[in-house]
Amino acid sequence: MGMIGRVRSQTADASKFVVDWMEHRTGIVTLTEHFLYEPVPKRGAWLYTLGSATLFLITLQFLTGILLLFYYVPSIEDAWNSVYYIQEEAYFGALIRGIHYWSANFLLAVIGLHMAQVFFSGGYKAPRELNWVVGVILLLLVIVLAFTGYLLRWDQDGFWASVVGMKIGSYTPFVGGATIHFLLGGDVVGPATLSRFFALHVWLLPAALAPFIGIHLYLLRRHGVFGSEFEYTERLAKLHENQRLEEYARYELDEGEEEYEDGENGYGDDYGDRGDYEDRRS
Amino acid sequence: MYDVTTGKARPVEEEIITEENVYDRPDETIGFFPGQVLKDLYVAFALLVACIVLSYTIPAPLSDPANTASVDYVPRPEWFFFFYEQMLMFFPGYALISFGAVVVPGVFVVLLMIVPWLDRGPNHSPLKRPFAIVVGLLVTVTVVLNMLLAVSRIINFPGQ
Amino acid sequence: MAELQKDPITRSDFIGFTVFGGLIGAALTIPPIAFLLHPVIDVDVLGETDVDQEYQEVGPISEVPADEPVVFNVDFPIRQIYGDEEIQDLSGQGEGSGTTLTNAVWLSWRTETDEDGHAGESFRPEWLDETTEGLTPEQISEAEENLNILSNSCAHLGCPVRWVLIEGEGEFLCPCHGGIYDINGGYVAGPPPRDMYRYVDYEVRENGRLYIRHEYDAGSEYPENGPQQPYVV
Repeated sequence: MGMIGRVRSQTADASKFVVDWMEHRTGIVTLTEHFLYEPVPKRGAWLYTLGSATLFLITLQFLTGILLLFYYVPSIEDAWNSVYYIQEEAYFGALIRGIHYWSANFLLAVIGLHMAQVFFSGGYKAPRELNWVVGVILLLLVIVLAFTGYLLRWDQDGFWASVVGMKIGSYTPFVGGATIHFLLGGDVVGPATLSRFFALHVWLLPAALAPFIGIHLYLLRRHGVFGSEFEYTERLAKLHENQRLEEYARYELDEGEEEYEDGENGYGDDYGDRGDYEDRRS
Repeated sequence: MYDVTTGKARPVEEEIITEENVYDRPDETIGFFPGQVLKDLYVAFALLVACIVLSYTIPAPLSDPANTASVDYVPRPEWFFFFYEQMLMFFPGYALISFGAVVVPGVFVVLLMIVPWLDRGPNHSPLKRPFAIVVGLLVTVTVVLNMLLAVSRIINFPGQ
Repeated sequence: MAELQKDPITRSDFIGFTVFGGLIGAALTIPPIAFLLHPVIDVDVLGETDVDQEYQEVGPISEVPADEPVVFNVDFPIRQIYGDEEIQDLSGQGEGSGTTLTNAVWLSWRTETDEDGHAGESFRPEWLDETTEGLTPEQISEAEENLNILSNSCAHLGCPVRWVLIEGEGEFLCPCHGGIYDINGGYVAGPPPRDMYRYVDYEVRENGRLYIRHEYDAGSEYPENGPQQPYVV
């Protein structure tokens, strides 16, 4: 055993020690193994990338959003200027803002596809109902995030789209006025409006989004991925086979009783084609 | 189902398949890592590349600074609100705007949330639950049609 | 993991949970809700506004021709977030640093219109061609009676309306959903639920100029226009 062999075995010992040490104190190794080696359906694995793509895009949103905050100024005097600065001056500003913008667009599209996939394959059925509900909540949160983010640029596009959106809110039965004044922070669009949208977009809604993502993933792992019936073809075939056998067994039982009755009432000869049944059954 | 210590599935033969446990485990499985993770990574990579390329080819838009007093600006929603905006065209007057802009979407969201309890049949396959699929397709078609209508309206707007 | 230990909850435990839990709950919910709803309470309950209630100058009314509306920009000082003038003085950011809200105001002369919105005779006073300043009280009241002072915010969803000429006929058109109003701001076609918003508090002064306050014919004082609140502009 030469030098290299000795180093190698020492390294292995050392890494084993570190891994065991961590495992004993945090249980992280078992946890990671559980996470990584969970069996998932093999067929149609590409379909399940829709969900993980959504998660990836939301992560991009968080990451680039936090970066944008380093330059963005949420006041009506400076909002547009600071966005312009990010876009035109800051190093890689166009990239960071571009990723925030484009991944938001992709996010809406991918969420739509993800939802359609789950709907059409019946993935929301028991015991996964609550995960569907959490998914719908996540969808709503993302839509509101998209709406509130639009105003923050304080440009013509975002401003007027938000005006239209808030005006739609004013048509809410009974609480329309209150809704609109809550969003405006007064009775006109002004600095308070921008502050409110900023607070919603940057703090409140992401803070609400994060735990729901956690619940969504936890429930997903608890019940496993459900892609489509296609994943269960063999098992369903077996089930149907079992059911058919049971069915026949029951039929045979009924048949026996009938025969008994036939003997009793003497009408047995009327059932002339019993031989066919016998053949089919065997 | 799964043997927790090894992470492997117990052989199928041990199991008697019933209505209850048929969906517990698919026919064939792979480990989440590396098989599924690698596929996820491919998709994530493709999306990130798309975002980066688009960031420079079609930079994130920034129009003129907001002006409350403009009279020649045409507000447009983002594409994912197109179908909703188009829907508002069909509801004139107080009662109807209220109905179309707030009540109808509200009811739709509630219905969306309770989908699992509206469709409780044992079958998952789209072919075996025609009603749910027809409703789903109708919603999809309505959304797409409304989007196209909105796009055509935006293209044809005279003052633009 | 250790086995679960489920001790019974005594009466005093229960009271402790209720009282202290309730106090924490109340302290963490009631003030934040009032904090967030402050604008709603101000506007809807107390009827206060963030906009300065002084009259602001619009422009000379003689500039408005008979058959066409003219748009003027009007600056209203607003006090959102930045506090009142006293506080702005204290912080050394008083005069001139306040935020203003610019409204686009459409002015037109009342015009007879038929049901389809086709314009007829205009009520523009003829003396305006010669007299632009030093108006008599009679002239002032005649001008005030016949002026349409309209908000540029569409009554449907708030998009800015524009004046367009279609085959020689002028009309206000909302570019968002195609709401159409006549020269008086009256509803003609499309999804809007009412006429255009009008500024209701205005005066023409001796110098021939129009002054308005930031107030519309909307809200509870104008039930005939429906329940809607103004919101932007």
